[in-house]
Amino acid sequence: MITVRNVSKKYGKHKAVDNISFKIEKGEIIGLLGPNGAGKSTTMNMITGFIEPTSGEIEINGYNISKKPKKAKKYIGYMPEGVPLYKDMTVKEFVTYMAELKGVKKDKIKESVDKTLQDTWLQNVKKVLIRNLSKGYKQRVSMAGALVGDPEILILDEPTVGLDPKQIIEIRNLIKKLGKDHTLIISSHILSEISQICEKVIIINKGQLVAIDTPEHLEGMVNVENAVNIVVEDKENKMAKLKLKDVKQITLIKENEDSTKEYKIIPEPNKEIRNTLFADLAKENITIFELKKTEASLEDAFIDIIKKNEQEKEKQKQEEIEQEKKKKEEKEKLKAEKKTKKENKNKNTKKKKGGNK
Amino acid sequence: MWAIIKKEVKSYFLSPIGYVFVGLFLLLASLIFYTDILVSGSTMFSYMFSSLTIVLMMIVPLLTMRMFSEERKEGTEQLLLTAPRSITSIVLGKFFAGLIVLIIAVAFTAIHYIILMTLGEPNLKTSLVTVFGFILLGAAFISFGMFASSITENQIIAAIISVAFYLITWLGAPYLSSSIEAIGLVNMFNRFLNGQIAIQEIVAFVSYTIVFILLTIMVMQRRKSVK
Repeated sequence: MITVRNVSKKYGKHKAVDNISFKIEKGEIIGLLGPNGAGKSTTMNMITGFIEPTSGEIEINGYNISKKPKKAKKYIGYMPEGVPLYKDMTVKEFVTYMAELKGVKKDKIKESVDKTLQDTWLQNVKKVLIRNLSKGYKQRVSMAGALVGDPEILILDEPTVGLDPKQIIEIRNLIKKLGKDHTLIISSHILSEISQICEKVIIINKGQLVAIDTPEHLEGMVNVENAVNIVVEDKENKMAKLKLKDVKQITLIKENEDSTKEYKIIPEPNKEIRNTLFADLAKENITIFELKKTEASLEDAFIDIIKKNEQEKEKQKQEEIEQEKKKKEEKEKLKAEKKTKKENKNKNTKKKKGGNK
Repeated sequence: MWAIIKKEVKSYFLSPIGYVFVGLFLLLASLIFYTDILVSGSTMFSYMFSSLTIVLMMIVPLLTMRMFSEERKEGTEQLLLTAPRSITSIVLGKFFAGLIVLIIAVAFTAIHYIILMTLGEPNLKTSLVTVFGFILLGAAFISFGMFASSITENQIIAAIISVAFYLITWLGAPYLSSSIEAIGLVNMFNRFLNGQIAIQEIVAFVSYTIVFILLTIMVMQRRKSVK
């Protein structure tokens, strides 16, 4: 459906996107993740044909977005970052205009607009000027603009940014509904959102593609120490001295106001300790209030992957610097050798001259 | 293109700009009509347009300054440029929308013509030729104004560039060499006032218009790869 091949975008010397390639199949829901300034929006802007890549190719359903923009763009509904809207129009006028721009046939415009307004729960504000709407509504209007005309691909750039929790849930439900019959690309900062909605995640850092996988896989990639967090009532302060089976380490995390304490227990590798822990602590007269196994979230995976990527980059840089240093040293050595050789030669010739005397 | 023309004309009249443009034009046209024609007891309807060219210079930027700069500033150009429309049709849509508003304003001067008819016998042919020339001149102005709007995201700068250009080609042209005199738009228009349809002038106006429409298209296309 969407093929991105060796795409780069340069601004002067700065590389906003650096040689990215990926493929998105029909019906997939993709999350585009990355820290601020990683190149998410630039990537989306290139896929939608708003900006031209410096090099590389993007194909939408087989149509190259630079060479056949009209045909390629027909498949895409785009909700840009910062929800730009024509504020002097009413909601209905705006959505109708977007339908006309997208070339929806005249006799189908009304039907398409009405359906979109219903899908995005905008029926009751359709006659309100966009200028007077709250942010949550504006976001929905922008989404309606992307949705009208029923394009096969929807690209949503940070659809939930700046919304209150209730609105976030509304938009998220809407996205889930849309995901059933569209190919979706969503960028977001909120990782829990991505892991809930998306089937696949693309992680970008500093313009480079770092990982592309399912959220579950990415979570699995992180080394978790499999720790158990417990909150206990321990009047005699035994916890710290306890020696339990299969336990590697016990550390106090914090003391609560109600005189309970929270500990982190790290077991020996690949051991399940929750069963024995429960029984053992009971024997010691320690009451367990809470017991929870810590798991890696997509957030951990994200931070871990980005960190690793940055460390690798730094290593590469340092290696390069060291190599350059070595080269310089070698050059200097060579120069020094040459000098000594020359001096030796000079000495020899002088000696010879001296000998002739 | 139709969708864009329709929306643009509509949005001129959703905001005050359309009304201000037509209103100002008519107010000043009426003033000139009174001082230049009625007071001197003439029936030369076309005389009014000689002074109206200066008015046109000052108010055409009202129509053109927002065309692309506002879209760029508000980010709505993202909606426009990711729609399955060619840049040519977007640019032409905006140009014709501006031209339509100008034609609406000029059409209102029919009132002045009717007043003259009650007082004497104005020459219809000369009047029509003058109006035709005036609209061609307006098209050239709009075309340049649109171009100015495409190169900046600041409306005021777009307006100032436009007015400066109109003034230079009007006042500056006669003092410069004869080849530059040929670009004096307003001076060319004066021939129409006598009811002459001068092919040379028509070609010049239309070329002007086409050149700046093409330049606007080029700017927009170029921005795609620079942005």
